[in-house]
This record gives sequence, structure tokens and C-alpha cells, in this order.
Amino acid sequence: MDSVTGVATQTVVKRKTRRSLKRNLTGYLFLLPWLIGFFCMAIGPILASLYLSFTNYNMLKAPDWIGLHNFTEMFTGDATFTHSLKLTFQYVFLSVPLRLVFALAVAIILNKGLRLLGLYRTVYYIPSLLGGSVAIAVVWKKIFSGDGLFNRFLEIFHIDAPDWVANPSYIIYSIVALSVWQFGSSMVIFLAGLKQIPGEIYEAAAVDGVSRTRQFMRITLPLLSPVILFNLVMNMIGSFQVFTSGYIIGDGHGGPIDSTMFYSLYLYLKGFSYFNMGYASAMAWVMLVIIGIFTAIVFASSKYWVYYGDGKDERG
Amino acid sequence: MKKTKAMLLASLLLVTAILVSACGSGSNNAGKANTGNSSQPSEAGGAATEEQVELRVMWWGDQTRADITTAMLKKFEEKHPNIKVVPEFSPFDGYFDKLNTQLASGTAPDLFTLGSNILEYATRNVLLDINSYVGNEVDTSKISPQLINMNTFDGKLQGISIGANSTAILANTALFEKAGLPMPTKEWTWDDFIKINEQIAATGKDTYGSYDYSGEMDQFGVYLTQRDKMIYNEPEQKLGFEAADVAEWFTLWEGMRKAGSIVTPELQISADPDDTSMSLVTKGQVAMQFIPTNQFADFQKMSQDKLTLIPVPMGPNGSMISVQSSQNIVGYANTKHPKEVAMLMDFWVNDPDAAKILGNNRGVPVSSEMRAVLKAEASETDKVVYDYLDIVAVDDVDLLYNVPGSNEFKQELLKASQNVAFGRMDIAKAAEEFYAQGLKILQANLSATTN
Repeated sequence: MDSVTGVATQTVVKRKTRRSLKRNLTGYLFLLPWLIGFFCMAIGPILASLYLSFTNYNMLKAPDWIGLHNFTEMFTGDATFTHSLKLTFQYVFLSVPLRLVFALAVAIILNKGLRLLGLYRTVYYIPSLLGGSVAIAVVWKKIFSGDGLFNRFLEIFHIDAPDWVANPSYIIYSIVALSVWQFGSSMVIFLAGLKQIPGEIYEAAAVDGVSRTRQFMRITLPLLSPVILFNLVMNMIGSFQVFTSGYIIGDGHGGPIDSTMFYSLYLYLKGFSYFNMGYASAMAWVMLVIIGIFTAIVFASSKYWVYYGDGKDERG
Repeated sequence: MKKTKAMLLASLLLVTAILVSACGSGSNNAGKANTGNSSQPSEAGGAATEEQVELRVMWWGDQTRADITTAMLKKFEEKHPNIKVVPEFSPFDGYFDKLNTQLASGTAPDLFTLGSNILEYATRNVLLDINSYVGNEVDTSKISPQLINMNTFDGKLQGISIGANSTAILANTALFEKAGLPMPTKEWTWDDFIKINEQIAATGKDTYGSYDYSGEMDQFGVYLTQRDKMIYNEPEQKLGFEAADVAEWFTLWEGMRKAGSIVTPELQISADPDDTSMSLVTKGQVAMQFIPTNQFADFQKMSQDKLTLIPVPMGPNGSMISVQSSQNIVGYANTKHPKEVAMLMDFWVNDPDAAKILGNNRGVPVSSEMRAVLKAEASETDKVVYDYLDIVAVDDVDLLYNVPGSNEFKQELLKASQNVAFGRMDIAKAAEEFYAQGLKILQANLSATTN
């Protein structure tokens, strides 16, 4: 009896593993186009760039192994590198919080149940698209130039304003302002998050006489915190890689006086304009590590301020 | 149910197969070209020399240049039915990225254009040696020896100039008239330049004598050659100037900046003189800017005032500007059809039909015969350019090549000059820093090419 059932179980198990294998095989087959794309198109270049970061490579001659020289040069001998890193940090710390606040504010306004909500959502999203981002950077340059729209407006109040995009002292602020203006994608995500918060909670709070500000602080923000975390991480990663606005509003070479020399732009110039691919690859890996560290910090901090609503955070 | 699943799997496999084949392409191009040959063997009449050949040609430039170059290549195809030419072009920004990537991966076009950076490519051994075709496929007898020397490296001719031009000052005659000044002649000096700028700036608010060239390497280079110096001493592989020369150059412009006779640093950036639609010279607000002569027609087109070309102010050695090659057509060292490459080069510079189509877009024709052909039917605007080149052609100037790492070098000079212009650094410090940076760039690029 026992042996019979044993055999039966065995065959069942065998059939099960075979079936699951078959099922998984189908899955892998479905994944295959992506996997091949990944291994052929992504992994190769990634590993190649890791190798190149230890070489001197000008794209015309074979790469020449120079060990850690690119990295030591970066941190000890390259003032422009240090400058670009500082400038990028400045940009990230200015633009990310401002953009999140702006996006949230607009999302809250749109959430009040306006007519034509779909239209507004689309219109505000456009500046975030790539094509739009180039176009809007070009427009931005015109608006904030010496005799542009913005200064004409200030003239009405007899304010003598500088050229916001040609003067190296102010250009960073016009770029930050531009990035704040491109709040669309964060705003759409915030809006979706706001729609998830049940209206009854606000009703109950209102009945209990809780003020609007307190409602916002005690209901909206905690319930929205996972969305805030998501937006914060995505915006931070994106901002570290800022390129388009600096490239277009500056002269494409980080000018005037390196005031638009963001990290990615310097990397691009090193690689494709100065033909130092090895150095550019090394810079790319340093940026990867920096973004990794900052993302890890944000995630580590998230357990103190993100509320997932499933009771798990009660201990924290 | 089972059938649909099978179908799905099959189609997935198909997609995968396509992707795999796309992954491993690379040598496919040659294969394609060959199948093209075998499909029409009878047409060629069986002769081995009449084999079907495909040439890829790449250049940079705008739509106008693309149109005329393509038309010229069509003409070439008509005259050589066995050769098919595939044109490729891109804007100047990005052209060299593309070219270098193609050279690195061994997929460069058979012919492509280079500027004064030809030296960098010649030293990297990626250009076709044309020596053996000279006198047969390529006729160089009508081209000035200087332009041939310019493209000869290690005794090998590695490119043919496809346009001659020179540096000039583009001047708005209306502003000179308004200030009651005669147009400067070839004998004018930098002191005259300073004085004239002041006089023109005095005619009105927001009117300036000249753009600010303190940050431009080409103009600095001219200034140096006027003083027996140069940016890059190619034979000795070192810089041909001192930090003190940079300081002197910066001081010259700082004086005019302080006097308000050249544009403000902000205007220099926001009203980019190199952009014909932004230039304040075309708009009658600034009297002078430097341009390469082949761009004269483009600027005149954008202006309601009459523009003209005047020579660069003289230094102790004279004005020291000459007729140079603005662009060169070169062959790829690994081309499969070097003979046809040479034939196309010859057609480009020596055929009257080609010359008429191309005009002065890349500079005046380098062949004296073709120049005569075009000069005979030149428009008013083009005549200005021919007359100007006649004036400057007499100067005997040594060959000058770009300094290795010239892109980065240019940016450093621009940065240093802007540090002075915006009052962030004094002249001595800016000059010192630029010089130190320049030495470093030169060193890095020399070691990169000799390794």
C-alpha cells in the first residue's frame, strides 16, 4: 500500500515539476526577446564602459590600459570635474524640493474637481516630454534673455534686471526655474495619489473641527508619503543626470564660464567633443555610485517618514 | 487553444531570430553590396572594370549644402553609371561624434569631409593615401601648391581641399557711413581698429564698433602670427606663445570693453555673431565681426544694409592672413574602392558641372580653372568675396594646424576671456590659468596619439 502511494506521489511530483518547468519555459520564451536585447544591447556596452573607464581611449586608437589614473585625475587634478559635481549638487538640492512642492500644489488644485481636468492634466504634462523639454528650453532662453519677456515685465516696475541666461551668476537659477516648470510627470502621479485618499477621512476630520492645514498635515501628507517617496527618488535620479536644459540654455559647452557645466554635460563633452572616452566612462561610473548612495540614503530614511497604511510602520 | 499557443511560441521564436540576427550584423553591409552586383551582371557588359560599385559619402552642413552636394553627386552618377553614391549628412554639431564612432567600429564612409582637423586624422592613419592616383584619376595641377602641401602628411597626399577661404572682417557699411568714416583698407592697424570702434560706438546708444573676440582662438592665432608667434608649433610639438601674449591680447580687448566700444559680455553670448539670424552686424547695431569668407553670402542675405569684407588689422608683420583650405574631402583608408574614391574627388574639384552646382558654398573652388568658370558668372555678393581673396592671396603664410585637443583648448580660452569680461578674474591670473590648462591639454592629447 505504502509503496504504491509512494510511487503515485513520485509520479505526481515528477509530473508537477515537469509541468512547472514547461510553464516556466513558456515564460522564459516570452522573456527571450527582452533577454536577448538586454544581453546584446545593454550588458555588453555596460561592461565595455567599465573596462574603458580604466583606459585612455580616443575612439580611433585601441584603448590603452592606465589603471586607476582616470579616477585619480578626476578627484585630484580636474578642477572642472569638481566644479561640475558641485554645480550638479546645487541643482539637485534646489530643483528637486521646489519641483515636488510645486507639483503637489498644482495637483491639489486640480484635485478640487475642476471641469476640463483631463485637458489641464495633459497641458501641464507636455513640458515634461522630451520633445517638449527641448522646445521649452529654447523658449525659456528667449524669455529670460536681456531684452526678453521677463525683463520687459520687470521694466514696468522700473527694475533693472540682468540677462538671466547670459550672465554666469544667474543662469543656474533660470535653469532651476525651468526644471520646476517641468513638474508635469510628478504632478500626474501626485494627482493619482490624492485620488486614492478616501473622502470620508476628510469628512470625519471636518466634522471633528480639524482645520484645513491640520487636515493637510495629518491626513494628506502621511497618506501620500509613499507617492512622495517615489517622486522624490525619481526626481533625484533624473536631476543628477540633468543635461538638456544646460545644453540648450548654455552654449552647449557648459558656458558662460562653466556656469552650465553639469556633470552629464561635462561627461558628454569629454567623450564626444574632446574624444576622451575612457575618462567619460569613468565619470559615468562615478555618477552611478553617487546616485546609488543618495538613493540608498533616501530609502533608508523612508522608514521614518513613509506611511504604508498596513500597520507595519507602527513600530517605527 | 493548443494551436494558438504554438502559434504564439512560433512567432516569439521568429522575433527572437530577428533580434539575434540584428545583434550579429556588422559585416552585413558588404554582403548586401555584393548581392547588388550579382543581380545585374549583364548590364555592365561583362568587363571587369565596369563592376558595380557603391560609395558612401558623408559631410556636414545645412539643408542648402545637402541639396547642392546631392545634386553634384547625382551628376557624378550620370557620368559614371557603374558607380552608385549614397549620400549621408548631418549638422556640424554631432558630425565628428558620428564619424569617430564609425571609424572606431570600422564602418566609416568611403569619402568624408574634414576641416582643419585633418592632421588629427592623418596621424591616426585612417585616411586613404592618394599619391598613386595623382596624375591618373586625380588632377591636382590646377590646385595651388600650398593647398596640396596642407594635406600632405609624411609625403602622402591624404585629402583634397574642396574650398578655399580666408578670415575677414564682415563690416556693415551703413554704420561706417553714419559715423562719417571711410572703409578701412588693407593697411589699417589694431590701433585704427580701436579708434574706429570708439567712433562708431559714439554714434548712438546700443551701437558698438565690434564684437568681442578675446575668447576666440582663430583671431588670437592671427594676432600671434602677426608677431612671429603661433598657437601650436607643430614641428616641435609645443605651444608657440607665452602666457604674456595671452595677457596682452586680453588687455587689448579689455580696453575696448571698458570704453564701451565693443559689445557687452552678455550681448556677446546672447546675440551670437556666428548665427546669421542673431548677428547684430546684419541688424545694423554692431559694425564689425570676423567671419570665414565663404559665409559672406549667408550674412548678406540676412541684412538690409550693404555688407562688405575688410582685411584683419595689421600687426608688426602685416595682416598675415592667407587663403586656406576651408574643408577637405578625404578617403577612408579601408575603402574597398580606392580608385573610384579618387575619381569622385577629381570630379568634385575639377568638373565644371560640379563647380557650377556647388558654387562657393564651401569656399571658392580650389582649381584655378573652376574659379575662372565661377568668377565669370559671379553675382554682386560673390564678387565681394573674389575681390577680397585677390587682396589677401599675396601674403605668404606658413601652414598652421590645429593644436591637438583643439576643442577643449578653444573652450578654455573662451572661459578665461569670459572670466575677465565678467570681472571675475584679473587679466594676469586668467592668462596664467589658461596657459597652464593649455599645456596640460596639449600634453594629454600628444600622449594619447603617440601611444
